[in-house]
Amino acid sequence: MDTSANKSLRTFYWSWAILTAVGVGLSLWLPHRYMPEAMSNDAHLTMTTLILFSISAAPVAAGVYAGALHILRHHRYTGDGVPPPAPQIRENTKILVSWITASAILTVFVLVWGLGALAAENNSSSSNPLIVNVTGQQWVWTFAYPGTHVVSNELYLPENREVEFRVTSVDVTHGFWLVNMGVQVDANPGVITTIHTTPDRLGVFEVRCEQFCGLNHAFMDAIGYVVSPQKFSSWLASQPARA
Amino acid sequence: MSIDSPPVDAHGHGDAHHDSPEKVDGRERLGVWLFIGADVVTVAALLFTYLYLRAVNTSGHWMSMWGYKGSLHTYAYWYNAAANGTLKAPTLIHVGTVSAGLQWLVAAITVVSAGLLWVGEKGLRSNKNAKSFSATALVAAILSVVGIIFAAVLLKDLPQIFVSVNDSNTMSYTTYDSAMMALLSSTIFHLAILAFLGLGLSIRAARGVISGDRWYQVRLVRFFWVWVAVSSVVATLITTTITSTH
Amino acid sequence: MTTTLEHAATTAQPKGGGLARHQNFGTAIVAGVILAWVGWFLARHLFWSSSDDWSDQVTVLTITGWMLGFWIGIGAFNAPFQWLLGRDNSREDNLYYAGDQQGRARYWKYTTDHKVVGVQYIIVTMGLLAVGGILAMAIRTELITPGTHFVNQQVYNSFIAIHGMVMILALIVAVAGPWGNFVMPIMIGARDMAFPRLNALSLWTLVSAAVVLVGTLAVGGLPVGWVVMGTIADQAGPGMDFFAMAIVIFTVSTTVASINLITTIITMRTRGMTLDRLPIFVWGTVITAALALYAFPFFFIAEANQIFDRTTSTSFYIAAGGGTTWLQANLFWLMGHPEVYVILIPAVAALFEISSTMARKPVFSYRTAVGAMVALAGLSAVVWAHHMFTSGWAPSLGGPFMVTTELISIPTGIFFLVLVGTLWRGNVWMKLPTVWMFGFIFNFIVGGVTGIYLSDIPLDEQLHGTMFVTAHFHYIFVGSVLFGAIAALAYWFPKVSGRYLNESLGRISFWLVFVGVQVTFGAMFLSGLKGMPRRDASYSFAFEHTNFISTIGAYIIMSGMLILLGAIITSWGHGEPAGPNPWHANTLEWQVPTPPPLENFDVLPVITEDPYHFDETTVSV
Repeated sequence: MDTSANKSLRTFYWSWAILTAVGVGLSLWLPHRYMPEAMSNDAHLTMTTLILFSISAAPVAAGVYAGALHILRHHRYTGDGVPPPAPQIRENTKILVSWITASAILTVFVLVWGLGALAAENNSSSSNPLIVNVTGQQWVWTFAYPGTHVVSNELYLPENREVEFRVTSVDVTHGFWLVNMGVQVDANPGVITTIHTTPDRLGVFEVRCEQFCGLNHAFMDAIGYVVSPQKFSSWLASQPARA
Repeated sequence: MSIDSPPVDAHGHGDAHHDSPEKVDGRERLGVWLFIGADVVTVAALLFTYLYLRAVNTSGHWMSMWGYKGSLHTYAYWYNAAANGTLKAPTLIHVGTVSAGLQWLVAAITVVSAGLLWVGEKGLRSNKNAKSFSATALVAAILSVVGIIFAAVLLKDLPQIFVSVNDSNTMSYTTYDSAMMALLSSTIFHLAILAFLGLGLSIRAARGVISGDRWYQVRLVRFFWVWVAVSSVVATLITTTITSTH
Repeated sequence: MTTTLEHAATTAQPKGGGLARHQNFGTAIVAGVILAWVGWFLARHLFWSSSDDWSDQVTVLTITGWMLGFWIGIGAFNAPFQWLLGRDNSREDNLYYAGDQQGRARYWKYTTDHKVVGVQYIIVTMGLLAVGGILAMAIRTELITPGTHFVNQQVYNSFIAIHGMVMILALIVAVAGPWGNFVMPIMIGARDMAFPRLNALSLWTLVSAAVVLVGTLAVGGLPVGWVVMGTIADQAGPGMDFFAMAIVIFTVSTTVASINLITTIITMRTRGMTLDRLPIFVWGTVITAALALYAFPFFFIAEANQIFDRTTSTSFYIAAGGGTTWLQANLFWLMGHPEVYVILIPAVAALFEISSTMARKPVFSYRTAVGAMVALAGLSAVVWAHHMFTSGWAPSLGGPFMVTTELISIPTGIFFLVLVGTLWRGNVWMKLPTVWMFGFIFNFIVGGVTGIYLSDIPLDEQLHGTMFVTAHFHYIFVGSVLFGAIAALAYWFPKVSGRYLNESLGRISFWLVFVGVQVTFGAMFLSGLKGMPRRDASYSFAFEHTNFISTIGAYIIMSGMLILLGAIITSWGHGEPAGPNPWHANTLEWQVPTPPPLENFDVLPVITEDPYHFDETTVSV
């Protein structure tokens, strides 16, 4: 057995392990450090999914990087002129099968998790969601609460109650995005699109337009507040009726 | 070492045509099939447009629109009425289906011209009479032009609806008529290509470039011509049977 | 080994050519402008009273005039009308068209020689990259800090759309254009492509389309986003007509090019070059061409519908008329997803070729590599709606599209296996092409993994429409495709110019661009995670740090690319001379002289094995 080859393979495996650890570390740290505060069940799921996918991807990325580094360290031709021929390896069935199997398993895992999360999102319909009609127009969001006369440019939501947004536009396509709730849907003219989520934390949140809609697209924001159910009722009652 | 002028082959081969006619024909046949393939996707996209818009039927307006019947007056009249504020309230205008008879006529003309060309090709290969083939190809080309005329009539007769909203005045079309406009425009464009090809075959046969021994190009054109006829029939089937949503 | 052909021309002037002797890029522009004016004049007098939209009708007819005039002026209609009249080209005509004895002038004309077309594509690609790059620098400079600086919002919004479409055009042709044309026919042992005149047509049509696209800047721009969604595009000014017409013209170019590439590869391989001896770059080219043939007609119809909506007030995308913006989205993405693989596959295939030559060993798992490219192309046709996950269209189809999209990660993963497997245990020759290839490997992992995030619907519901998406596809387009394209350029540069692309300048450029990519787009991922939407002319202070870093990174990329440009310009005329086979490779393009003779081979070679045999006898030059 060629010990230098074994030695170099050992450094390959070590590099793989270390890079994987770095990747896992980044996966655990970056989302928490950079993502907006999660204020709904969907947002928590999004954060978890992002971390999980990153951790799953870490050994794959690390393996390729460790392989590239190994090649750069041990298989680089350092002489003058043309390098001599290398071992004419055309196939390695074991590696091929392992690779495809591993990537298939990873794909299935990601798929199963994703489809499960999708189903969980879609099936969380309670029997009595709060309905909010959202209208996008260049360049402002308007929120109406059916059953009341309330029309507002600020989005008030009660905590822990599922809310169903019915979204439309009066001009071009906009993107209704609840930044802290992990959900978004386009606002299209002539149709109503729907999303729902359940806010589970009190506080201020952001609504942004994420579908380019013209001149002031960058400024088409709205402020939202998740408040206690009592505060929500009193807010509704205090709003002036609009024509 | 410059790219100014590469040395020329000593045997003066300047082109790929020192290949045998059969080899060249094989290449060109594949080229035509690939071109037909791209055209299949194009026509499919047009039919997808038609069927999709009908399926979505936004606000129930596949074959209707709020406005004013455009054909009652000139555009200038409508425009001025809108500017002066003398327009009455708009009504919901329902449009009728585009004449199925005329649509089938156009398709039939295309099919007949394709059949004519095919028969002409067979005749050319067997009796080697280039002159008679030339006449046949010319008739096929003329038929295509006739088809264009009828398709243009259909296009011209698509009902316009005057719409005036927020100072925006325009003659508009229902979604159904929009899709028909696209399909009819495509038909006219394809027929124009056929007319060009038929005329070319006719002239080339008259000049002896095409003959009983050199008929390969006729077959290439025939492939495309038959495809256009097939697409015409398929599209007409769809647009005459799948129309109104109720 | 073929001998260099030497044959002094027996005549001082080329014969033949007819009208084409007087036609070139200059006459094309003149004819284009003249007919554009004719179109404008006719439109003004025919349409001014029929509707409010006269300006759109005038614009479209003007551009139609340009398109026809350019084709007439460059000589594209010569052959069809000669055919119509029964007069075919003589051998002298064909020699003339192939550029025989015309020196440098042939690069300005409707020249059919595939090697000339290849060089023309290099120039056009560089031109498009330059325009797109300038716009990119304008965008990043504007975004250096929050607020409006040196361009107002309308201009900024326009810049991002034009930057996007110009770069997409550049990348579609970046590898397949120059090398699918210059190298591929020689690689398969052919004398030219199957349809040489279509070759010239595809190049000059691209030029015509590019002029119209860039011309958008002169008529008020394109403030609608490069995906030109139905409703916002309907609102836009004449720039939108320019865009739509540019696309209509462009799809002619790609369709014609695809037909040419596929027919050439299928019918013109020299004796003995069976499919399993085909160089892998050729596989990549034919697969890409087939995918493009399928995909671009959808774009054509998407934009044709838009033109109808704007000029005749049809209702394809207008909800008030019964139409729907989702039609535009579906048609667009039916093209748009395959299109990104049209962009990617040639670059990957070129890298496969480079990895084998530079590692001195065969392509690892050749058949699996081919299978992966085929699978990728096939799957790419059924994933398009992942661009519409948050549009509200057909929520029930979300699951199926998620499945097909995630499946793509399997063939994509195989690309890494093949590249790393080819290099593994090789004697890797660290020349310029190899260096850029390693950059590709690093960046493509980042781009690929983040693509998986976006394919997951719950994640996409957070990340769609943010700078996270922008960072993802820039890691693919800039970090991966551009790196592959530059590797291909460095690799085949000696065959085109007879000189090496300057190694030291190339390395400096590499490090600047590589580091710049990490800085620019790494920070951009963070902007997106934090919640910054894309296509924002200005942004909240929450995103100021990451944007500042991204802008610094952009300047680093720019300096690297400018150095690369300098390297290309100086090396082409004065670089270190290279022999006909500087990399000691086995594919056929390296077995002919530099520059290759007009018809590539004196005697067509007969192939007995695939080109992936590196043994002691491979080094002959």
